[in-house]
Amino acid sequence: MAIYQTAIRKPITTALIFVAVLIIGIFSYNKLPIDQLPEMEAPYVSVMTSYPGANSEEIETNVTKILENSLNSVDGLKEITSTSKDNVSVVVLEFEWGSDITEAVNDVRSYIDMVYDNLPDGCSRPFIFKFSSSMMPILIYTFTAEESYAGLDKILNDEVINELNRVDGIGNLSLSGSPERYIYIDLDPQQLASYNVTLEQVGNAVSSNNLNLASGSVKMGGEQYQLRVQGEYVESKEINDIVVKVNGNQTVKVKDLATVRDTIRDITLEEKVNGKDAVRLIIMKQTGANTVQICDDVKVMMEKIVKKLPPDIKVDIVRDSSNDIKNAINSLSESVLYALLFVVLVVLFFLGRWRATIIIAITIPISLIVAFLYLYIADSSINIISLCSLTVAIGMVVDDAIVVLENITKHVERGEDPNGAATYGTNEVWISVIATTLVVVAVFFPLTMLGGQAGILFKELGWIVTISVVTSTTVAISLTPMLASKLLKGKTAKVNNKGELVVGNQEPNWYEKNIIPLLNKLDIAYATFLRWALTHKKITLFSIIVFFIISLLPAFMGQIGSNFMADQDQSSLNINIELERGTRVEKTSQMARQFEQSIWKVAPEVRLISTSLGSSDDGGIASMFNQTNNNKIQMRIRTTEKDERDRSVFEIAESIRKEFDKYPEIVTYEVSTSAYSASTNNVDVEIYGYSFQETNQVAEELTQIIKELPGARDITNSREKDRSEIKIVFDKEKLAKANLTESAVSMYVRNRVNGMACGFLKEDGDEYDIVVRLKEERRNSISDIQNLDIPSPTGGVIKLQELAEVEEYWCPPEVQRKRRERVVTLSITPYGVSLGELAGNIQAKLDKMQLPEGVIVNIGGSFEDQQETFGDMILLFALILMLVYIVMASQFESFAKPFMIMMSVPFAISGVILALWISGTDFDMVGALGAILLVGIVVKNGIVLIDYINLMRDRGYELNEAIALSGQSRLRPVLMTALTTLLGMVPMATSTGTGSEMWHPMGIVVIGGIIASTIITLIIVPILYSIMSRHGERDRDAKQRSTFIFMNLKDTLDEDRAQDKNEQ
Amino acid sequence: MKAVFIVFNQANTEKVLFMLDQLQLRGYTFWEQVQGRGSKTGEPRHGTHTWPEMNSAIITIVPEQNVDELMRTIHKLDKRNEELGVRAFVWNVEDFV
Repeated sequence: MAIYQTAIRKPITTALIFVAVLIIGIFSYNKLPIDQLPEMEAPYVSVMTSYPGANSEEIETNVTKILENSLNSVDGLKEITSTSKDNVSVVVLEFEWGSDITEAVNDVRSYIDMVYDNLPDGCSRPFIFKFSSSMMPILIYTFTAEESYAGLDKILNDEVINELNRVDGIGNLSLSGSPERYIYIDLDPQQLASYNVTLEQVGNAVSSNNLNLASGSVKMGGEQYQLRVQGEYVESKEINDIVVKVNGNQTVKVKDLATVRDTIRDITLEEKVNGKDAVRLIIMKQTGANTVQICDDVKVMMEKIVKKLPPDIKVDIVRDSSNDIKNAINSLSESVLYALLFVVLVVLFFLGRWRATIIIAITIPISLIVAFLYLYIADSSINIISLCSLTVAIGMVVDDAIVVLENITKHVERGEDPNGAATYGTNEVWISVIATTLVVVAVFFPLTMLGGQAGILFKELGWIVTISVVTSTTVAISLTPMLASKLLKGKTAKVNNKGELVVGNQEPNWYEKNIIPLLNKLDIAYATFLRWALTHKKITLFSIIVFFIISLLPAFMGQIGSNFMADQDQSSLNINIELERGTRVEKTSQMARQFEQSIWKVAPEVRLISTSLGSSDDGGIASMFNQTNNNKIQMRIRTTEKDERDRSVFEIAESIRKEFDKYPEIVTYEVSTSAYSASTNNVDVEIYGYSFQETNQVAEELTQIIKELPGARDITNSREKDRSEIKIVFDKEKLAKANLTESAVSMYVRNRVNGMACGFLKEDGDEYDIVVRLKEERRNSISDIQNLDIPSPTGGVIKLQELAEVEEYWCPPEVQRKRRERVVTLSITPYGVSLGELAGNIQAKLDKMQLPEGVIVNIGGSFEDQQETFGDMILLFALILMLVYIVMASQFESFAKPFMIMMSVPFAISGVILALWISGTDFDMVGALGAILLVGIVVKNGIVLIDYINLMRDRGYELNEAIALSGQSRLRPVLMTALTTLLGMVPMATSTGTGSEMWHPMGIVVIGGIIASTIITLIIVPILYSIMSRHGERDRDAKQRSTFIFMNLKDTLDEDRAQDKNEQ
Repeated sequence: MKAVFIVFNQANTEKVLFMLDQLQLRGYTFWEQVQGRGSKTGEPRHGTHTWPEMNSAIITIVPEQNVDELMRTIHKLDKRNEELGVRAFVWNVEDFV
């Protein structure tokens, strides 16, 4: 028994099965995390190796090259890049997106093991580091304080971090720029010399007097006592009175030699918010945890915590990734709801009946909820891609139900009882409903096979649409007939007293009076037009081709830009500023205040500026994301929300750039509008070559050329400028004579300049470092360094300059390599031009440039990704066309018919180009997604039309008449399919919410494509059909019958009978 | 005894069976889904994509006096919904066991 018969006979079972599906779907919907994009595990593995004492070039030859050569054969490796700097080599392996990183890490480990013996002695074991999404901060708070500032570190650690750690799914919490309590013992070298004390003696005295020790137990009579030495400092003042040395009866105390400061740590990393001292709290999540949920939980908890904090502490949020996600998801959810509403209205408009509309509308939630079930099983999330896919699906899931319901309605209107009508009506169409679904599946299923970064995004679209469309077909041939059999009312018919049949209720309702005549008129007008066009094929075809060629012009004239993915206005800016190398932190800080003032001046939309500069030497994981230095400033800026301001962040960024151009102090700067520090859309110009000098020169030349190009902004050079360092070069002979070693002297120097750690001061369970070093003004010049006293093992002190030269020198830059060659990368952000255009302009300039021998220049970055992705997409497009062709050819059992349908695909493209051109939108990956979707819709419309023309011809209508009649009859279903999808996309194309930049192109592409292709399909498919068909070709019976020759035989019945009789 | 052969659009199946019950004609043989085409205006019923509808057929052997009533009722059924269509043909039954 067919599925629809069972469904009609067992309405309760059927209804309950779908209720169960709904419940499971809603359950999984509630469990789905919300995220920006589908979980993409970044396919990067870094290998870090330290080789102390080697400079960057030595590291390159002895460590990096060896590792690179070995790691180059790891499976699935896409690209290998490396940085060799003093003491450290970092090799980064990029794998294909979607590859199994755990497997890759194992591979990497075994390849490292293979070459480990070839690495130089003294080289550390290479450390393998896997990047994961849990390392991206999801929430950044800033705390500013007045009088409590000094104690902020303790307050935050005790009251905030401890509390927040209880939030489910929270990962690393780290503080940046918090004022740590330090006890500094600043020694005066003159006093040291006069008392003949060394710094180490002071340090040892301080640390050895700071001791608590269990010293056994004492038994006294019947009792036993623990014996303890209790010598730890209770407060920092005690240190002053520590005796360092006894000279006869004279004691030298710490206070005689030094000042003890119980203070906060010297600033090396400065954090300010709106110019005030601040501390940043960086919150990360565990991998796979729900960002939005965690952020909400943290915020709730933070509100409670803030009440307990001293009132002068102010809390502000600098970055809240959940906000971006929530805004994006909210505006997309809105689009989904609008799409749903529009689809229902379109159905109501064309069918004109509430009951029918309800039956069809019910397929939407069921199909979509099954998609949620898929997302849950596939461990995915509610994200931009999955919601876009749902919007796309909404327009498509109603089609099958409409076809089935229309046919059932036809039967009911003939006076059949709803039960029979549902059974037989479904029986007549269910095969063709399944066949059209196959076409849609042929379009979307190949998407699940796409590889690369785009593959991760498209996979979800492919699965969601495939699954919802298949579900909708299942619903259309089970639940729809069941509901129709229960809800549809047959025409009331009565028998009057005369025994005549009276079919009742003939009073036409509003819909029948107003809308039906309108639709009928439209049908007839279209049929009339078709009849005219069929007799004027040449002129019609000619004008269509002219339209096609004209529509392609904007693309050929370079009016359509291309991007990888549109930049989003996330109400935040990231600024990186680099000042002259060697600028001291205090000076940098002063400049930062000036820059902040300039920003406030040109951009009143800015609400908050969080500035970091300097570096912390032990900043933990967070410091990996901190790209600041003594001469580098990083600013995170939050502006007012998108709907509260007139200028977009892109325009704000541009005005800030103009302002920064005025400062001669700025060496380079970058104003990025992406929420994370890396810019998303950029062109990288990679300059390969061994010689530093040549490549630097090319880079410099190119920078000058590119600066002139329109729309080229934020040109950054990956190779750091040579920096000056102060180097101590030991004289080995003198060292040996003085009985000293290099390592011993370096330690002495370090103790004097950086400080010697000598234990902790313990208070309330917290430990604070005690550091002994020379006072600042005695270690701040080359002559101070030269005059450092180095204790000699034989007693007495030797000046450093007697053992070594102290000189200033230029240290070689770090060596960056890509594809195992040295490289310098210039990174350029486009403003006001598309990525493709900028890359094209740069390429044109490059072609004209004279490059030195051995220097190769290549364009990469997002542009490269974009090229790769578009390449993949074209391949995919071809695959889809082939699959669709196969499905259609077998459906029509004809090679020619699918061609007619596919001829309408190019017109979808002209619609796309015109729409992009008129709206001034760039074509990007999301737009490409829309283009693929168009193929499905366009082809579906063609099938509806051709299928019916075939039917009419099989029923014996003459070719042109069959075409005209089919057009008249199929106009409404075609318009309905097109309108449901089109209106579903309108909210996407017009929404201005946060993140809408991303799906905007998709809406534009689909709307343009559908309008053009629907109109053209309605003209070109019938005409092509008429051109490519011959009268009578459909009449297979006639063909077969013409081979039957028996009718022409001579009639010999009488003779044969007579013969039979004779034989008897 | 007469044999009455009734051919009808399968959508009429329930009504035909109801009719036989009402007329207290117990015996019948039923072919579900038969193909056919009307002699004058009737559309082909092939169950194909082109002609998706199907007929069913019943043959019932009834006493001679019941034939007239049966034929009249069948005509009523046809009038109730002419688009679906129901036709009946009568012939003699020579013998039966």
